[in-house]
Amino acid sequence: MADYRESPFASRPKTLDPAEYFNLSPDYRRAEEERAALRANLKRQYQLQLNNPLRKELIEDPALTRWVYARGNVYPNFRPTAKTSLLGALFGVVPLFVLYAVFKTDRDKREEQIKAGTYDRKYKISY
Amino acid sequence: MKMAALGARQWARALLKARGQGFTNAFIGARAASGPSKDMLPGPYPKTPEEMAAAAKKYNMTLTDYKPHPDDGMGFGDYPMLPDKSQHERDPWYAWDHPDFRRNWGEPMHWDFDMYIRNRVDTSPLAMDWKTMYTTLLGFVGFMLFMFYVGEKFPSYQPVAPKQYPYNNLHLESGGDPEKAPEEVKNYTI
Repeated sequence: MADYRESPFASRPKTLDPAEYFNLSPDYRRAEEERAALRANLKRQYQLQLNNPLRKELIEDPALTRWVYARGNVYPNFRPTAKTSLLGALFGVVPLFVLYAVFKTDRDKREEQIKAGTYDRKYKISY
Repeated sequence: MKMAALGARQWARALLKARGQGFTNAFIGARAASGPSKDMLPGPYPKTPEEMAAAAKKYNMTLTDYKPHPDDGMGFGDYPMLPDKSQHERDPWYAWDHPDFRRNWGEPMHWDFDMYIRNRVDTSPLAMDWKTMYTTLLGFVGFMLFMFYVGEKFPSYQPVAPKQYPYNNLHLESGGDPEKAPEEVKNYTI
């Protein structure tokens, strides 16, 4: 395993990360142990519910609930700042005027050509 | 009777708070009791260290790992900012709780999780660096475009001449008089 070379299209698995072997500092180890404890606790909760023979309902995932809630409740955390105002103007206000101008000039030009009789319909399926 | 009074009080409170902001906005604070409690759901951006610690605990992350999105009013609240890595990059051989998503139960989900699933965006490391790929592609496409442009400007065809017909340019076939002698047409040189 020492000469493991990961596929160019995948990241190296965490257990084969050299930092895991050569990083002996107690702080790193303690952080890793905390993370492992959290993960193990979640695993335990899930396995208890999964293998409970008396369970009839779906196992609800609070992380999923929180994700859905966060994605749906963006507005309460919205605050008008320079960035948000700029984005709002750029995506909401500017396209209205720009598109109006573009379409108007294009159509006026086409109308002129049709009136003058110079409009080229060679490859047009519709008018 | 008490329920009616409670309901009336809630209506009054909502109406006072709403004050013309619309019917649905009046009841934003009211939620069903069937879901998680308010402290288990995402909230506003954490400002004090206690709020940071509580939020880290809520999302099942260590305090060092938990980093909220920057507070620029974009609406993230206290949701954690996880590294932008797709599920393609996770170990395919580990026994995940949800193997298709390569995710364990209860693990904090990336804000763009539905973008990073295995049917969609893939952020895996590439065979060569971005700059090489980019220059190769642009170089090839640019070269082909340039050559097509040159071909338009300087076209080259097989030499072509008008079609030559035998029998004095088909004098009889094209309705010429059989008695009258046709003019001699010579389409060759020896």
